[in-house]
Amino acid sequence: MQKQITEANLRLLIDSLILKRQRVIGPRQSGSMVLYEPLSSASDLVLTEQPRRSVKEAFFPVCEDLLEYSKQGQQVELADIEPDRFPETVIFGVRPCDAAAVPVLDSVFSWDYKDHFYLKRREKTTIIGLACNTADDSCFCTAVGLSPDNPKGTDLMLTPLTGGGCLAESHSEKGEAFLITWKDRFSELDGTKPLPLAQPAATPFDLKKIKNWLDNHFEDPVWDSIAVRCVGCGACAFVCPACHCFDIIDEGSEKAGKRRKFWDACGFSKFTNHASGHNPRNLQPKRYRNRIMHKFKYYDDKFGQTLCTGCGRCIRICPVGIDIAGVLEEIEQQDDSVK
Amino acid sequence: MNDNNQNIYLPYLATVADVIDETPDVRTLKLVFQDEHLRENFSFRAGQFAEYSAFGSGESTFCIASSPTWQGYIECCFRSVGRVTESLRRLEIGDTMGVRGPYGNSFPIEQFFGKNLLFVTGGIALPPLRTLIWNCLDWRDKFGDITIVYGARTEADLVYKRELKQWEDRSDVKLVKTVDPGGNGPDWDGKIGFVPTVLDELALSADNCIALVCGPPIMIKFTLPVLEKLGFSDENIYTTLENRMKCGLGKCGRCNVGNIYVCKDGPVFTAKQVKAMPLEY
Repeated sequence: MQKQITEANLRLLIDSLILKRQRVIGPRQSGSMVLYEPLSSASDLVLTEQPRRSVKEAFFPVCEDLLEYSKQGQQVELADIEPDRFPETVIFGVRPCDAAAVPVLDSVFSWDYKDHFYLKRREKTTIIGLACNTADDSCFCTAVGLSPDNPKGTDLMLTPLTGGGCLAESHSEKGEAFLITWKDRFSELDGTKPLPLAQPAATPFDLKKIKNWLDNHFEDPVWDSIAVRCVGCGACAFVCPACHCFDIIDEGSEKAGKRRKFWDACGFSKFTNHASGHNPRNLQPKRYRNRIMHKFKYYDDKFGQTLCTGCGRCIRICPVGIDIAGVLEEIEQQDDSVK
Repeated sequence: MNDNNQNIYLPYLATVADVIDETPDVRTLKLVFQDEHLRENFSFRAGQFAEYSAFGSGESTFCIASSPTWQGYIECCFRSVGRVTESLRRLEIGDTMGVRGPYGNSFPIEQFFGKNLLFVTGGIALPPLRTLIWNCLDWRDKFGDITIVYGARTEADLVYKRELKQWEDRSDVKLVKTVDPGGNGPDWDGKIGFVPTVLDELALSADNCIALVCGPPIMIKFTLPVLEKLGFSDENIYTTLENRMKCGLGKCGRCNVGNIYVCKDGPVFTAKQVKAMPLEY
């Protein structure tokens, strides 16, 4: 279903949702950075830059409670965390590179065992995407098979139009229901053209060729040359919309406390450390190799997709200037014959 | 698998029913589920693992070391090396702890029916095979010869000493125990030498035999060529991998060996499968 909405009506719609006590998330100033956080009015929206962290934390928070424990003598009492506490949520202004990572996370948290913390939040959230009209030097969505207006992962996609306002196209039942519920705010298409889309400079990678090389080059001197600079800070994983490794930690005393799930990163030196002290990924190049392998081979082997949407955040944030797009380019140029 | 309304991270509560010191730093906990229904109905297969909680410290991953044929309780066995294992070690009889599981695949025991079995293990790696050993002994008539080669650095490092005695006393099991040179006391009645060497000397026939190997990486490295020499094919050699885990559910992303997730695809693999993996275990 396709409709059109003026900028004024979009703001009114957001404010009406907030007035109805619906939780509305969108890119807004939070301290020194723009993040996807709850809005208190439409005027909070900051749509001029990409949020520093991705939208994944709306479903998979940096830290979340899994259970509470309390001890009385030798007895322990556990309190489950009620998943129904997650409120109905609408997220506005989700960039296509962020939205595209959501179905990727869905696969992880729903295959075999179901992580209902993640899935309940997903179920109760409507994702409203916003196409990009600008890109910076680090953006490379077009190089990994996506685009500045790709609707993957969105329920409703907004594409800015010349002269203001947006085209609104639904891409799921939730999106269609949203257009119907708020039909008074939307109007029929009047033929206005969309604003020119962003044009990231990156040229498309041959992801098949890259995977083919990865399939056969677990051991290769390239890994050392690529990762020698990596300091293992994990920042790339934390800003990544698709990275999803986590740790489970107890916080509290022996008497009472909480068990929590925290973001973790395969770049950290202790990530795979065995109790014996043996560490299968004892060196940084091995850890960086796992990052690239997971994104462009392992995840693909398992779920048939790539674990990267070309958002460019890891490139912007890396303190030693490791550029994942450059790494992929280097891999693409390797001789992919089987050794 | 769970339905959408279940918290997959919520452990079952269990009471410590017994505490047994295997060595100065290795301890067995006998655990009884507090929920009566679960106590009677908890089922698992030999080779599966669980996440054990010491509340306030966190969770640790070990195999379930007792046999699936034993009802009413499970056992785990661990070396105290870190925060969680130290807290588990401090638990006393009557204390409450948590168990999540069973997780992972298991030994295809049905495929071993009618075959001879050779268990080869060292040190703290006996517990992952001990579950299967007892499972087989409880179904003794389904198997041919059962041979166990078990070594440790010193006599003091042998775990389940009382059970080693039981196996020695049985006529339907052959136990060959060994300690590294220098690891024997004055009364040691076993062999002296490394596990691969002792195994080589045994010169066991690989005919109709399944080898089950679990031990430190160095033991595995030198044991596999001996088994090969004896005529074992890689499909007939089984082992369990023990990568670091957190969730045990195929989500948290740390136990992978290449694209293999030890928690879901393992922990039990054939030597053929292991040899096809990148060296990341």
